[in-house]
Amino acid sequence: MDAISLSVERGEFLAVLGPSGCGKSTLLQMAAGLLPVTSGTITLNNQTVTAPPPEAVYIFQQYTRSLLPWRNVRDNVAFAIEHRVGRRRAREAADEPLAQVGLRGFGDHYPWQLSGGMQQRVAIARALAAEPALLLMDEPFSAVDALTRLDLHALILDIWSRRNLTAMLVTHDVEEAIYLADRIALLTARPARVAEVIETGLPRPRDPIATREHPRFLELRAALLARLLTRHVA
Amino acid sequence: MWRERLLVPVPGLLVLAALLAGIEAAVDAGLVRRALLPPPSVIGARLWDLLLSGEVLPPLLQTLGLVFTGFAIGTAIGVALGVAMGWWPAAFRLLEPLVELIRPIPKSALVPALMLFLGIGWTMKVTSVALVVIFPVLLNTLQGVRGVDRVMLDAARTHGWPTRHILLHLVLPAALPFILAGMRISLGLAMVLAVLSEMLSGGGGLGFLILDMQRSFRIRDMYAWLVVLAVVGLALNALFLAAERRALHWQPNARR
Repeated sequence: MDAISLSVERGEFLAVLGPSGCGKSTLLQMAAGLLPVTSGTITLNNQTVTAPPPEAVYIFQQYTRSLLPWRNVRDNVAFAIEHRVGRRRAREAADEPLAQVGLRGFGDHYPWQLSGGMQQRVAIARALAAEPALLLMDEPFSAVDALTRLDLHALILDIWSRRNLTAMLVTHDVEEAIYLADRIALLTARPARVAEVIETGLPRPRDPIATREHPRFLELRAALLARLLTRHVA
Repeated sequence: MWRERLLVPVPGLLVLAALLAGIEAAVDAGLVRRALLPPPSVIGARLWDLLLSGEVLPPLLQTLGLVFTGFAIGTAIGVALGVAMGWWPAAFRLLEPLVELIRPIPKSALVPALMLFLGIGWTMKVTSVALVVIFPVLLNTLQGVRGVDRVMLDAARTHGWPTRHILLHLVLPAALPFILAGMRISLGLAMVLAVLSEMLSGGGGLGFLILDMQRSFRIRDMYAWLVVLAVVGLALNALFLAAERRALHWQPNARR
């Protein structure tokens, strides 16, 4: 990674798009305070990030590994705040985010009893329970099937706009980046640099069919794919 | 379904019955000297007397108390050291040479030395049991703690969990399958050291009785107490397995 300068405005949805293995996840983990930076700084609300900041929550690609298998769904959501408010109050507070991700009534299930998409919903509910201002998402939709992915896109957009969140999404999926984001930062392969930052300029609310047929969407997709593919060959 | 499961142990029990009948016949036929091995029926009768008179209870409780106390203390120390060594590299570098030095010593060989310091009473016996329990628990805990998924730990960190909370509510439960595996090894060793230290210290208990009966030529009694000991081991193991299944109910392959 080399000389990356990137900023996310409050309330914005930023996608970081790049080829596999270019260091997108590393970048996001540093932004989340999960990895130390070797040089340079990360700032959040004018404060340098050295440890995971309370206003940011990271959503992982590997939902099966980020949930605790010995805890049921409710206790996995309570995970977000139990160390601050105690296990009992955290449990009581879990129902609302669970309802928001469409998992009302699944509190007593264990993760292994749920499909992949539902497990990622649990992880999203857990993130919401922490009432973050900033969502950091590391390819959270790459391990689910295509239809489930569309469902989760709608869910994330809904939550993002209703809660006025700021979102940073790392992905290698061009369509996903265009569909969700306000701006796309295109990274180059190693060493990773910001090649370009593009405003998507697509109207909101986004629609799974209409938005994907929008001329601007098609234009962006062609341009971004072309750039990713040529770089891949070279 | 339950009927089939009830039939599962039948072949094994038949082998056992055949063996006992064979020994009985061999002793009756004079192939084995009665003084060395009384027929199982005679041992059984003696065992029955021990049970009916309640004579079995005090030594049994004494040995069980010793095993449980030593096991609990050794497990607590082993888990604590294992977590510390698995979590803090400094603790590992500090303690690893010591652990590697003491671990290979058969702990039975340390009993005479322990007697010098602690006498031949309860303290010495509990210490020797605890000492043998520590190491398998420690090593398994260490391995379990190191194997905790990075992603799970990061999830706790991104939600701001303090270290204490991470250790208690994430690392320990995640390492539990390993800890329990270590405890199961230790349980068997605890029995061995309990019996041995009772034999060496002579203060009662099943181990003491087995040796004492042999020395006073009460061979029937010796075998009867041996059977008691075998049943204790069997029961402890079954109890442990049930507790383990309960603790790991969330593991898909633990459900049967």
